[in-house]
Amino acid sequence: MNPTKRCAACKYLRRRCPKDCIFSPYFPPTDPDKFACVHRIYGAGNVSKMLQQIPVQARAEAVESLCFEAKCRVEDPVYGCVGIISLLQTQIQKTQSQIAQTQAEITIAQTQSSQFM
Amino acid sequence: MGGPGSSPCASCKLLRRRCAKDCIFAPYFPPDDPHKFAIVHKVFGASNVSKMLQELPVHQRADAVNSLVFEANARVRDPVYGCVGAISYLQNQVSQLQMQLAVAQAEILCIQMQHEPTLQSHHQVLELDQDHKALLLNNNNNINNCGNNTNNNNLGYAMSSGQFNSNFASPSSIMQMQMQMQMQDPLKQESLWT
Repeated sequence: MNPTKRCAACKYLRRRCPKDCIFSPYFPPTDPDKFACVHRIYGAGNVSKMLQQIPVQARAEAVESLCFEAKCRVEDPVYGCVGIISLLQTQIQKTQSQIAQTQAEITIAQTQSSQFM
Repeated sequence: MGGPGSSPCASCKLLRRRCAKDCIFAPYFPPDDPHKFAIVHKVFGASNVSKMLQELPVHQRADAVNSLVFEANARVRDPVYGCVGAISYLQNQVSQLQMQLAVAQAEILCIQMQHEPTLQSHHQVLELDQDHKALLLNNNNNINNCGNNTNNNNLGYAMSSGQFNSNFASPSSIMQMQMQMQMQDPLKQESLWT
C-alpha cells in the first residue's frame, strides 16, 4: 500500500500499512484520534485479536463500540461506561417506582369514582 | 500479599513472574480468583491495566478494577457490542418506562379532572379532557408500536438476548443524558457488581 495512504493505526504505529491491514477499513487516516483512544485503552494487539475473532460484517460495529467504551474510559478513568449503566439502572428503578405509585393512585381514584356512582 | 514467602497474586501467577511487595495488582487480584485477572488481561492487557491503575489515586483503584472486570466480562460475552449493547437496551427501557409513566400520569389527571368540583367552567373541563384523552391515545399508540422488548432488567439477559438497537447513541449524547439524570455517585450503586 502507498505509504502516504496508511490508515490511522499504521500511521500511529509507524509501520507500513499492508493491503490486508485489519485496521484500515475502520480507522481512516482522517480520524487519528479514534485509533489513539482505542490503542490507549486496549492496545493495538488486543484490538487486532478481537477483530480477527469477529466475522467481517460485524467488525465495523465492534470497532464503534470499542471506541465508545474507550472514550468513556478516558473521560471517566474509574468507572468508564459502567458509570452510565449504573445511572440508567437507577433511572429505571426510579421510574418503575413512580409508575407503581401512580397506578396505585389510579386504583384508589377509580375505587372512589365507582363509590360515587 | 506479594513478596517472599507469600502466595503470588493472580496476575503475577498468570504472567509467571515474581510478585513484588508493592505489586500494583496484588490488592485487587487475589490468587483465589484467577479468572478475574485472566479476563481483564485478555481484553485490556496487563500493561494497560497497570498504567490505568497507576494514574488513579489508591482509594479509587478498587472501583476501577471492578468496572474493568465488568467491561471485560461484557466484551467476552458479547464480542461485538460489549457493554454498549447493555447501554442501548437500558436506554430503550428507560424510554418505554417514561412513556408508561406519562400515560399513567395523564390517566390520573383525567380521573381527577372528572371529579373536580365545578369551579371551572364546563367548557374548560371539556377542553382539558379532550387534550388529555388525545395524549392518552397518542401515548397508547406509541407503546403499541414499540419493539417487543421484555421487561427483564437482568443485565446478563440483556447482553445475550440480542435485542439491541445497533444504532446506539454517540458518546456525546449519552454523556448529555448522563448530565440530565441525577448525578449520583456510582460508588453507591453496589448492586452493579456485588
